Amino acid sequence: MAHMPIKETIVEKPVSLTSFRFKHKIWTLIVLVVTCLLALLFLGPYLYLLLTSLKPSAEAVTAPPTLWPSKFSIENYRKMFDYLPIGKYFLNSLITAGASTILSVFCGAMAAYGISRFSSITGSYFLLFTLVIRMVPMISIAIPMYMIVKSMGLIDTHFALILVYTSLNVPFAIWLMIGFFDSVPKEFDEAARVDGCSWIGAFIRIILPVSLPGLATTAIFTFMLAWNDFLFSLLMTSTNAKTATVGISEFLTAYNLDLGPMTAAAISFSLPVMIFSFFVQRYIVSGMTLGAVKE
Amino acid sequence: MRLRNGALSTVFFFPAGIFMLVFLVYPIFLLIRDSFYKIDIINPSLREFVGFANYTNSLTSERFLKALLNTVVYIGVAVGFEFIIGLILALLLSNAFKGSQFIRTLLLSPLMLAPLVTGIIWKFMLNDQFGIINWGLYKLGILSDPHQILWLSDSRFALYSTIIADIWLTTPFIMLVLLAGIKGIPISLYESADMDGANKWHKFRYITFPSLIPVATVALLIRIIDAARTFDIVWVLTQGGPGFSSELLSTYMYKTLTRYGEVGQSSAMAVIFIIILLVLSSFFITKMWSPRRRHS
Repeated sequence: MAHMPIKETIVEKPVSLTSFRFKHKIWTLIVLVVTCLLALLFLGPYLYLLLTSLKPSAEAVTAPPTLWPSKFSIENYRKMFDYLPIGKYFLNSLITAGASTILSVFCGAMAAYGISRFSSITGSYFLLFTLVIRMVPMISIAIPMYMIVKSMGLIDTHFALILVYTSLNVPFAIWLMIGFFDSVPKEFDEAARVDGCSWIGAFIRIILPVSLPGLATTAIFTFMLAWNDFLFSLLMTSTNAKTATVGISEFLTAYNLDLGPMTAAAISFSLPVMIFSFFVQRYIVSGMTLGAVKE
Repeated sequence: MRLRNGALSTVFFFPAGIFMLVFLVYPIFLLIRDSFYKIDIINPSLREFVGFANYTNSLTSERFLKALLNTVVYIGVAVGFEFIIGLILALLLSNAFKGSQFIRTLLLSPLMLAPLVTGIIWKFMLNDQFGIINWGLYKLGILSDPHQILWLSDSRFALYSTIIADIWLTTPFIMLVLLAGIKGIPISLYESADMDGANKWHKFRYITFPSLIPVATVALLIRIIDAARTFDIVWVLTQGGPGFSSELLSTYMYKTLTRYGEVGQSSAMAVIFIIILLVLSSFFITKMWSPRRRHS
């Protein structure tokens, strides 16, 4: 709109360039300082946990607290293994999160391909289903899930957690993958079919390889949901299949006066995730803003 | 051909469908059924139909209403602050200055942090003996005694302490979504505003803010639902205590199931909770999305 007056306004408004530049510089400086302060506010607590875990064990809970360790020590990292079978809990987390990721990406990709290629129901119905599932509070669905797992005799097994995490992840995985498959031209499948591939063959040999970024995004999200889960593991495991999150929380009840090893366990649990998400942020951002920004 | 496609679609959908049927649809059916029974948790086959008694018990129980109120306060305060801080951060970072990309990347790295770890971080920092928050306030002269505020064990503060942890964890998400929204606004709008001599406030008020409304609506909706579902943070920090001062619906339901073994009662509360969230979100969507539809 209004292309006409543009030229006139430029001519009419004599702007002192130097004062403009100066004002601009001040503004940029203010923005920079405030941003850095806020960034520090958001990173500080995690860095504090990291520094605390590297203090000698007793120093972690002294009053007054120190910011910087008097000397760097891995004492907390050694002690956490003495207190609780934390290695086993980490392994359990890895097994359940890994297996449920493979299952949900596999099932999700297949279902999404079916919907994307053969079905008359559109992805938007699935979006509705995914949204409704998202609105159901975890605790609400955890109650009947607990009863089902109990009646199947699967309490405190890896299998129970894998089933639960996969089911929770599948709708989201399907929804993500539909978006990716829709962007792969149908000519790809047809070319493969002409060359004598079955539908399944075309799916595995042609479509999956070109959708790798989509599979990666889906895998990251499904893995993180399972890895970070606390509620289901708390409810459904006791000794055998207990995962790292519940294990870490046990330091609080069992060793309330010696929390240094707990900080070490929390860092061991989360630092790989932080570093990993730093490098794959592109995928995370695309998955997270999908629902909100994409029309 | 149509039938063939339908059959193929079913084959591809089958594995995922089984999972969703057995562990999502069936549980919701089970939840609704169990909410009408009184069930023994040790031997679930001992059940007695009680009609709507579980519902009326919940809705008249003081503890349930207190947990509901706490949940509303939690959502309101947490999401309110998250939105304001997230918006400020997004506006700041939308200025492309040297290093803004890097700061953005740094700010986003806690996006995937477990709520449990967040709880542990704040449990540590808000501790009334060795917590760095109290000592920091004491050194700054705001507190006269470093043990003055019992963040997690004073019933006046406990709920707000859990909210602080929530704000810390999820503000980057709001920032991310709003930033993506700002990036999506056509630059030509700002250029023509410049031509008309608009200042920064005008540009925010008449271009940025209105353009962000659809994106912000979805971000708020997602956050409201997630805040309502919060469990981990509160469980680690206070377990709903002291007393019931920071009890949320989620922690109360968990306790009703595991500590008191009331399957029917907790199922009824879960159904009420689902209904509230569905009503809230559909209200939100129709209320906020209709003006946008009219414009476009």
